[in-house]
Amino acid sequence: MRLLVAALLLATPLAAQETIASREEGLAAWDRIFEKVSHPRCTNCHVGDSGQPMWNGLGYGVDTVHGMGVLADQTRIGALSTPCRTCHVTADRANTVPHAPPHIDDAWRLPPVELEWLGKSSAEICTQMRNPETNDGNDIAELAEHLRTSPFVAWGYAPGAGRSAPDGTPEDIAADVEIWGAAGAPCD
Amino acid sequence: MRLRVNGTEHEVDVEDDMPLLWVLRDELGITGPKYGCGIAQCGACTVHVDGVAVRSCQLAAADVDGEVTTIEGLGTPQALHAVQAAWVDHQVAQCGYCQSGQIMQAASLLDLNPEPTDEQIDAAMSGNLCRCGTYPRIRAAIKTAAVKLQGV
Amino acid sequence: MGRVKTIARRSFLVGSVAVLGGVAFGTYMYKRDVKNPLLADLKPGEAAFNPYVKVDAQGVTLITPRADVGQGAYSVQAHLLAEELDVDLAEVRIDPGMPSAAYYNGVLAAEGMPIAATSDSMMARTGRGAADVVGKFLGLQLTGGSSTVPDMYDRLRHAGAVARETLLAAAARQTGLDRDQLSTENGAVVLPDGMRLSYADLAATAAEIEPVQDVTLRDPSTWRALGRDHQRTDIVAKSTGTQEFGIDMVMEGMVYATTRTNPALGGGIQGYDATDAEVMRGVQAIIPITGGFAVVADNTWRAFQAANAVQADWGPSPYIGDTAAQFADVAASFVEDRQDSRFKDEGDVDAALDGADVLAAEYRIPYLAHAPLEPMSVVVNLTDGRLDIWTGTQIPRFVQDGAAAVAGLEAQNVFVHVLMSGGSFGRRLDDDYVRQAVEIAVQMPDTPIKMVWSREEDMTHDFPRPLAISRARGAVSDGQVVAYDLGIAAPSVAASSLGRLGQPSIGPDVAIVAGAWDQPYAIPDYRVTGYRVPPMVPVSSWRSVGASGNGFLHESFLDELCHAAGADPMEERLRLCWHDTSRKVLEAVAEMSDWGSDLGEGRGRGVAFTLAFGVPVAEVVEVTNTDRGIRIDKVFVAADVGRVLDPVNLEAQLSGGVIWGLGHAMNCELTYEGGVAQQDNYHVFEGMRLYQTPQIMVRGLENGDKIRGIGEPGVPPAAPALGNAIFAATGQRIRELPFSKHVDFV
Repeated sequence: MRLLVAALLLATPLAAQETIASREEGLAAWDRIFEKVSHPRCTNCHVGDSGQPMWNGLGYGVDTVHGMGVLADQTRIGALSTPCRTCHVTADRANTVPHAPPHIDDAWRLPPVELEWLGKSSAEICTQMRNPETNDGNDIAELAEHLRTSPFVAWGYAPGAGRSAPDGTPEDIAADVEIWGAAGAPCD
Repeated sequence: MRLRVNGTEHEVDVEDDMPLLWVLRDELGITGPKYGCGIAQCGACTVHVDGVAVRSCQLAAADVDGEVTTIEGLGTPQALHAVQAAWVDHQVAQCGYCQSGQIMQAASLLDLNPEPTDEQIDAAMSGNLCRCGTYPRIRAAIKTAAVKLQGV
Repeated sequence: MGRVKTIARRSFLVGSVAVLGGVAFGTYMYKRDVKNPLLADLKPGEAAFNPYVKVDAQGVTLITPRADVGQGAYSVQAHLLAEELDVDLAEVRIDPGMPSAAYYNGVLAAEGMPIAATSDSMMARTGRGAADVVGKFLGLQLTGGSSTVPDMYDRLRHAGAVARETLLAAAARQTGLDRDQLSTENGAVVLPDGMRLSYADLAATAAEIEPVQDVTLRDPSTWRALGRDHQRTDIVAKSTGTQEFGIDMVMEGMVYATTRTNPALGGGIQGYDATDAEVMRGVQAIIPITGGFAVVADNTWRAFQAANAVQADWGPSPYIGDTAAQFADVAASFVEDRQDSRFKDEGDVDAALDGADVLAAEYRIPYLAHAPLEPMSVVVNLTDGRLDIWTGTQIPRFVQDGAAAVAGLEAQNVFVHVLMSGGSFGRRLDDDYVRQAVEIAVQMPDTPIKMVWSREEDMTHDFPRPLAISRARGAVSDGQVVAYDLGIAAPSVAASSLGRLGQPSIGPDVAIVAGAWDQPYAIPDYRVTGYRVPPMVPVSSWRSVGASGNGFLHESFLDELCHAAGADPMEERLRLCWHDTSRKVLEAVAEMSDWGSDLGEGRGRGVAFTLAFGVPVAEVVEVTNTDRGIRIDKVFVAADVGRVLDPVNLEAQLSGGVIWGLGHAMNCELTYEGGVAQQDNYHVFEGMRLYQTPQIMVRGLENGDKIRGIGEPGVPPAAPALGNAIFAATGQRIRELPFSKHVDFV
């Protein structure tokens, strides 16, 4: 933990370093983060080892695993079965057609296995996210950077075609991650 | 814009966001790829872009970044691709409308994975809908084609 | 009671007219030979010996007038002709021909009569004879009811034999040899010295002689292709993307159209604003059609996009618009006023159930869409008073007449070119989409127009399989099922779909109880009553028609009774079944599935049997109750079609029928809100996918006394066999479809 905070201090611009957040502010920030990351828009892909994406919170039908029996494989891109991009094409183009597979300007894939959020508690995800060994090797700054620049995250906040999305913007959650990190990334 | 389809270069004048499917069917007269749903639920429009299966109803014309192969480019009645030959041997087709897509998906699978397990066949082929219910023969034909392709 | 019997008798007397229209006919109409349509455009040197075989200098053309919607109709028709004519099917033209009264369906009308397929009584024989009369009288060219093989089996072999013998006679005349010295082989007459005269070379001579009508059909033991594995005639084209479907037709100067009509069915359009759409790229016209508008553009996608941009002012649907209210009206239909039929009434059910320990249950089945993968599409061209239509259809003569009416033409100036259908399942028994295209053509003559519906338009403008409710009661005694009283309430398919074709329907609708009233069980007190629900949203035939749902309604409750009796569901069905051919299919699936053996923990098997379209079919489904839901492991199917013409296709049709039946039972329903179908694409109407597909083992038996078709009969037992298996594995009895309302499927 101390290491992580040190890493944060090193990696964060001076302006941020000047406002070390309180534990309460950090916990409040985490609560806001958890509210977003537990949204189906995120957990439908952050499914962990099963490699089966979910179709939860679609706005119709019942919550279920992604249809068609798709599997992401260990590669997370479905390479040995059908690549995700067979349907989720790579395109820098608005998502406008309801019920069509969404696309982004990147190869569609699932997050790394270790970033399993589906069905996990706030404490479990928090513990996972603050440790680079269980969060795909990211420090807080890198997490914030990822949230600001990832086309997946950007899509998650603006999925188009009438899909539900978490409130706020990628910038909001990135800022919350920075507050949370500045407070020492508290989980409880 | 320029598109390379089945080895032939085409110049087409279409909107950037016209799906490749409709460029193929209505602009180029290549009707092997079929329209079934428009939302990647049925797979009847499946083509290859640089060998990888893609739903051509989802891929905008301007986003095509490689060579397109349709069922017509995979093989012909006179020179069947191994997958098509297996489809004939097993008499897979009933109405046949989905089969262009099924065959393109299967050909792409075997290209990526020459010895798919039953589970991998199921996972790869379940995005292609067949209303007639030809699935048992699709499974069998893929296994036949896999053996044939390995013998090549 | 008296009232019901009177109705039943009257409807029987008018026979199939009750179902297929027409009011009176003289036998002279029936006896008069139907005109051979091939003679109309015959050129010098061309011979057409009957409506099915034409020979000219280029070769042989076989006419296969029953539509191929995937069931292999073209192939079996061609093989029936070829088996007698001795031609290689790779070397002949196979053509569906033009619509003609000569291609009337002589057996279908019997499906509309209350005649059990198991009955060979005088009444039954008379009724079946009347079906031929009615079909011929009406010139009813229609593909459906699994009738192609029974209807065409003799007719096409005879046509092939007549052509062969006439060509032989022509060869005899040409060579001066005796007929008996000649033989036929592979499209040629073979002379004693081995020299071959091709049929094409004999055409001119053959055209000059009267067709030889006195022919003997070959004994099946001498068949070369029929009866054994052979290749479907369309299999290479369908494996290479070269098969031309209705949607693939391309013509010089063709424009691309799509139509939109009110998604609230029957609501009409009060007006529309096409300002935005008109200026979109490629849009050539936006024009009104009945109940909506059409967009004509230079590309289908552009037409779709523009149609989305039109602001339409739709009217309200006149029908009961919400599915809950629809079911409420069905539930309110179990009253004497709405009683439609009681074709089965054995023993005294009321007495048997009076005071007995009665088991009772209510079952529900939903509306279902056909949703063939090729959406409705058609190419039309109206030029100089001639209208040409290219489309996939099961009803070419109705298409011709309907189009003629819309265009204000005589039917003889309307030419319907039937193309291969990308599925149908009953959808192409309607011509609504063709009429729309003709409306466009009338406003845009001299231009070939391809009209294609979006998937959403297709699914929200289907004529679905109707919903139904059954109320069943029964009693058991000493380990046996002794009484079964089944009431089924549903809207009438016959009234709805015949009404759209301009045909009357009189008397009871057999479809309301088909697959339930006519089952060969000797239950001492046994009654099946049909109740007709007043018309709601328009409905139509869906693969296996009435039996598609009635198999589930009848066989699920029979299974309940078996369990209540403490009897084995297979053993009890075998005990109750009096029909030898049917019993043998049950015995076959019992043996195939090793019925009675232990499947282990969390697993179960269910059996169901339905006799539909004259074909007894038994199915056993094996499931496993996993921690993620029900997995369907295996299905065993046995069916008896009397004679198997194409074993490969029999297996395909039965396993396809099983997948159709299981897939819809698992997860499909069509529901309405405000008259708008809520399922508009496959994401909410999925059916079965490959990963869910069980192993399916099929056996075709040949004990039946008549040859039968196999496109539909595999469907009805699938859903009840699955439900019965789920009960066996979990103890949960599910009494409504789709099952996904109550269980998950892996």
